[in-house]
Amino acid sequence: MVQDFRLPDLGEGLPEAELVQWLVAEGDTVTLNQTIAEVETAKAVVELPSPHAGKVTALHAKAGDVIEVGSVLISFEVAGVEPEAPAPQSTAQAASAEPADAAAEDKAQPNLVGYGAAPRGAGRPQRRARAGARPPAGIDTAVLEAAPHDVIHTQEPAEPLRERPRSTPPVRKLAKELGVDLALVEASGATGLITRADVETYAARIRSVDEAVAPPAASPTADAGDRVTRVPIRGVRKHTADAMVRSAFTAPHVTTFHTVDVTATSELIASLRADRALEGHRIGVMAVAAKAVCLALMRHPSLNSRWDADNAEIVQHHYVNLGIAAATERGLVVPNIRDADRMSLVELADAIGELAQVARAGKTAPAQMSGGTFSITNVGVFGVDAGTPILNPGEAGILALGAVRRQPWEHRGEIALRDVMTLSLSFDHRLVDGEQGARFLREVADILREPGRAMLLR
Amino acid sequence: MTQLTMAKSINEGLRRAMADDPKVLVMGEDIGKLGGVFRVTDGLLDQFGAQRVIDTPLAEAGIMGTAVGLAFRGFRPVVEIQFDGFVYPAFDQIVCQVAKLHYRTRGNVKMPITIRIPWAGGVGAAEHHSESPEAYFVHTSGLRVVAVSNPQDAYVMLRQAIASNDPVVYFEPKRLYHQKGEVDLDVDLADAPPMGLARIAREGTDVTLLTYGAQVSTAMDAAIAAEDDGVSIEVIDLRSISPVDYRTVAASVRKTGRVVVTHEAAREAGVGAELVASVTEQCFDYLEAPPVRVTGHDIPYPPAKLEKHHLPDLDRILDAVDRVLDRPNSLTGVEV
Amino acid sequence: MMHTLTPTADPATDVDDVARLLTPDGERIADHDLDPWVDDIDAEALRGLYRDMTLVRRIDTEGIALQRQGQLGLWAPCRGQEATQVGTARAFRADDFVFPSYREIGVNFVRGAVASDFVLAWRGEAHSTFNPYDINTATPQIIIGAQVLHAVGYAMGITLDGTDQVAAAYFGDGATSQGDVNEAMVFASSFRAPVVFLCTNNQWAISEPVTVQAKFPIAGRAPGFGIPSLRVDGNDVLACLAAMRWATDHARRGNGPAFIEAVTYRMGPHTTSDDPTRYRDKDEVERWRRRDPLARVEALLRGQSEFSEEFERDVAAEADRWGADVRSACLSARTKEPIEVFDHVYDEPHVGLESQRAQFAAYLEGFTSAELSTGSDAAVGGTTR
Repeated sequence: MVQDFRLPDLGEGLPEAELVQWLVAEGDTVTLNQTIAEVETAKAVVELPSPHAGKVTALHAKAGDVIEVGSVLISFEVAGVEPEAPAPQSTAQAASAEPADAAAEDKAQPNLVGYGAAPRGAGRPQRRARAGARPPAGIDTAVLEAAPHDVIHTQEPAEPLRERPRSTPPVRKLAKELGVDLALVEASGATGLITRADVETYAARIRSVDEAVAPPAASPTADAGDRVTRVPIRGVRKHTADAMVRSAFTAPHVTTFHTVDVTATSELIASLRADRALEGHRIGVMAVAAKAVCLALMRHPSLNSRWDADNAEIVQHHYVNLGIAAATERGLVVPNIRDADRMSLVELADAIGELAQVARAGKTAPAQMSGGTFSITNVGVFGVDAGTPILNPGEAGILALGAVRRQPWEHRGEIALRDVMTLSLSFDHRLVDGEQGARFLREVADILREPGRAMLLR
Repeated sequence: MTQLTMAKSINEGLRRAMADDPKVLVMGEDIGKLGGVFRVTDGLLDQFGAQRVIDTPLAEAGIMGTAVGLAFRGFRPVVEIQFDGFVYPAFDQIVCQVAKLHYRTRGNVKMPITIRIPWAGGVGAAEHHSESPEAYFVHTSGLRVVAVSNPQDAYVMLRQAIASNDPVVYFEPKRLYHQKGEVDLDVDLADAPPMGLARIAREGTDVTLLTYGAQVSTAMDAAIAAEDDGVSIEVIDLRSISPVDYRTVAASVRKTGRVVVTHEAAREAGVGAELVASVTEQCFDYLEAPPVRVTGHDIPYPPAKLEKHHLPDLDRILDAVDRVLDRPNSLTGVEV
Repeated sequence: MMHTLTPTADPATDVDDVARLLTPDGERIADHDLDPWVDDIDAEALRGLYRDMTLVRRIDTEGIALQRQGQLGLWAPCRGQEATQVGTARAFRADDFVFPSYREIGVNFVRGAVASDFVLAWRGEAHSTFNPYDINTATPQIIIGAQVLHAVGYAMGITLDGTDQVAAAYFGDGATSQGDVNEAMVFASSFRAPVVFLCTNNQWAISEPVTVQAKFPIAGRAPGFGIPSLRVDGNDVLACLAAMRWATDHARRGNGPAFIEAVTYRMGPHTTSDDPTRYRDKDEVERWRRRDPLARVEALLRGQSEFSEEFERDVAAEADRWGADVRSACLSARTKEPIEVFDHVYDEPHVGLESQRAQFAAYLEGFTSAELSTGSDAAVGGTTR
C-alpha cells in the first residue's frame, strides 16, 4: 500500500524547508533509514532518512522548492507487512509505554510530534463541542485520607455555620440605596443568592407606589355575563399577604384578651382636646394606647424582641419602633414610629397623625415599614370589639384596640354606663410565655383604666 | 507542657526527629560546632555526631544539591539556609531539582527534604538579612511551604515537615526566636493539627484578618486595639501557605463578609494577591467590601532605621480594617 | 608546597596530552599507570566492548533518523563518544550509582536501559522513563552541572551508610564552568566523598569551543580542589575502562573523590536542532573521524585475527535488532491521558492540587469528543499517536 511521508518539523518550530536535492528517484527501492533527500532549513542542511523500506512511487517536489512542514514530500509503496511486535520491555518501563494498536499505528502517517508551533489547523478557530458542564466530583476522600499533613474535610460541620445573606457587591449597594435589609429579602434562585431582581421585587412590594396602580390592564376585569371578577395579586396586597403568611406560619400565635373600663382615658382625651395649648395636636385613644404600650414594653422586654433563627439568638431591643397599622385604599400597611419610647404623648400623637396621613396618600417610604419592634392596630374604627391579629413579621407582639363602647359596667360597686374597650394581644409564643403576655396586657389596660398610673412608671 | 522560646522549640523538634529516625540529617553553614548563628541547632552535634550534623562549605547551591543526592540515597536532610537573603544561589536546585524530581521520576524518587529558612525582618539587620521570599516557593509546584508563628507550631510543624515525604520550605521568623510560649513536647503527631490546617488565632465577627508568621502577633495586637473602636476582628494564622486551608478561610469570610490580608513581604504578586484572588473567587457573594492587602511596600527591604515604615504595623492594619468597614478616615487601598 | 602557582601547560586544546593504551590506528601501547587496570581484558572482552559501542552507535543513529522522520522532537547525538561512555561505565558495579547528563546514551545502555528508555523522553511522552533505582542510574539531567552535586550528596550518603559503593557524575567541558560543578568538588573534597567526576571533554558546548571554558586543562582543576586527576584519550575504550577502574578503586577504598577528563569529540551536532557547519571547521571533524573509537578497536582485533566475519555479522544483526526495537518502542508509544498531567507532583495528596485536578477532570468530561479545539494552540498535542 502507498504511504505518504510529510515533511516533519526538523527542529523546534521551523515552518518550512527548501529541498536541496533528491538522493533517490521514482521507482527506486529504498531501505529503512536510507538517506533520500537533503533539505535546508533556517538552521541547517539536514539529511532525511527514509521512514519506510519499499519502493518510491512519487516525488512531490523538485530541487529548489520550498516545502511547508506537514505537506507531503514523497510516497512509497510499502509491502503490506505487519510491523514487528514491540520490543519486550522490562517491568521498569511497563508503566511508560504500553504497545497500542501497533498495526494501525504503523500504517498511520508519520506525524508531527508537536514540537514548536505546528501548522495552524485549516479553517476558522472553533470551540470543541460540549455536552455541558457538570460540577466537579468532590475530592476523593480515600486519596486524602492517606495524607497526614493536609486537612481532610469529609463531613459537614455539625452546627450550621453563621453566614451573612449572599449577594453580589452591586446588589448590596442597591439594597443600601433602597433602604432594604438583605436579611429580609427572599432569594428566588435555588442557590440562595439574592439577585438584583429579588431586591427590587421586595422593595416594590413594601412600597405603596404608583407603579402598583393599575393601568387598565391591571384593573379588575369583568366581562359582561362573567360570574367572577379577577383581580391581579400585586402591589400592597401581595406584600401584605406574603407578610401575613410568613408571620402566621412561622411564629406560634397566641391571643389573649382583656376588656377594660377606659372612661378615664376618654376624659383625659377630652380635657386635652379642650386645652388651647395643645391646639393642633390631635390626641386620641390610639396615642394614649401607644404611650401605654411603650411604657409597658420597657417593663416587659420579651414583648419587644425578635427571634433571630439565623444566629440562634433572641434579640432584645432597647428601643421601641412602634408600628401603627394603617388602612389605605390599596390595603393595610404598618409603618413604624422610630424610638417611640422616647416620645411624649403629644409627640406620639403627632407622629401617629402624620404617619396615617402619609399612608393614606400612598407615600410611605419602604424604610419606614421595616425595623418595627411592636405594632398596634385599631380595629375599633370598624366597630368591632376584638380580633386575633397576626404579628407583623419579626415582631413579638401586636395589640389590637377594639371599639370604645358605652356599656353597663361595674363602677364603684354599682352598675354604671362606662366607656369600655377590649384589648386583644397576639404574641409569639416562642418569645413570650402566657404569664408575660398577660402581665403586659394588664399593665397596658391599667394605664388606660387609670392614666395617672403612668406616673408610677419611668 | 514547657515554656520554651521558638528557637528552643525548633531545637527540640530537630532533636526529637533525629532521635526517632536515624535517616534524618541536619546540614548547613555553622550549624555544628557553633550550633547555628541563632543557636537553633545548639547541642545537636554533641548528641548526634558530625556524620549527622554537618557543617557544610559556604555554598548554598552545593548544600541543596548534595541534599538532593542524600535524598536519592534514602536520607531525610534538614537543610538550613543561614539567612533568607542567601537562599537565591540555591534557588535553581530547589526549583529545578527538589521540587521536580518526584514528578520527573513519576514518584520513583522522593525528596523528603526540609528547608529551614530564618526569615523576615524587624530585627534591625544589615541588607539581605530580612527578606520575605516565600512567594517564589509558593509559586513553585512540588513544594509545600509553611510559616510558623509560635513555639508550639514551630515544634510540631517542623516534625511534621521532616516526616513528610514531600519537600517542605519551613519559614521561621527570626524576630520571634526569643519569644516564649507553652509547648507540649510529647504531643502525638498523629493527634496534632495537620500541617495544612489554618488556625483561628482569635475569633471575631466583623472582619477576617488573614496572616502568617511573625505578622500574626502584629495582627493580634491590632485586633485588641480594634476593640476600642468597637470592632471585632477574627485573626486567622494560615500556618501553611502552600497549600492554603481555604475551608477555614472561607467559613470565616462567609461569616464576616470583610477581608484584610497582611504580610511583611512586598505587595506585588505576593502571597496576599493569591489569597485575595481565591477568596474573591470563592466568597464573592458574601463580600461587603473589596478585600484589602496590608503589606511591605514594593521596595527592596530598607535600612534598619527605616524598616518600621516598611513593615505593616498595627496602625496600617487598622486603617485597612476601617476601609473594609467603610469608615471615612481610611486611606488604605485608595487608588491615586 | 609551592608559594607561587603559575599555570604552565598549554590550554586544553592539546588533545594528545592524554594517557592512552590504544592509538587511533589500532596499535596497543603501554602505559605504566593504566596497564595494570586492564590486565584481564582479552580478545573476548575486547570484542564485548566493541559490540557495546556498536550497539550504542546504532541506537544513536536510529534516534537521529526518528527525529528526522518527525517521531522524536529532539535527539542529542553521542556519536564519537562511545568509548568514553562504554569504557567508563563498564567499570562500575551494579550497586554503584551513576548521575548522567542528557548525552550519556552509552552509559545508560551499559547500566541496563531498554529500548524505550532511549526514546520516550525525547518523544515528549514523559520526563523520564526508567526507575532510577532499577538500574542505579539517575534520570538524565538537563540542567547543566546540577547532577554533579547530586552525585556528591549520594556519595556522602554512602559514607554515612558505611558501605563501599561509589557514585559517579558525568558532565561535559561546558559544565565545568557552572558553579554547581565547582561547589561539588569543594564538597567532595571536604567530605572525602566516594565520588568519581567524569568530565567528557568533547571540545564543544553547542557552538563554544572548550577554550572559552578553560585556559588550563580541565583535569588540572581537580588537584586545586585536592582531588587526584587523570586525563585520558576519550576515544580509547581501554584507557577509559582503566581510568574508571582506577578512580572507582580509589574512592571505594575510602580515599575520597577522583577526577577523569576524557578527551574526545562530539562528531555530530549538539542536538538535531543545531547546525555545526556554522561554527566548526570540517577539517577538524575529518581529523577526528580518523580517530574513531570503534575503528581502532576493530583494527586491533583484526590485527590479532580476532575479528571474524561471523562476529561481524552477529554484531551487525544485533545492532539491527536494537535499532528496530528502539524504532518500534518509539512508534508504539502511548500518549498519556490529559488528566495524567496532575500525577506525581507530590508524594502525599495536596488539597490545592487535588481541587484543581477535580475541576479539570470535570471540565474535560463536559466535552463530547477528545479532539482539541482548532486555532493557533491546536498545535500543542495535535492528533499524534
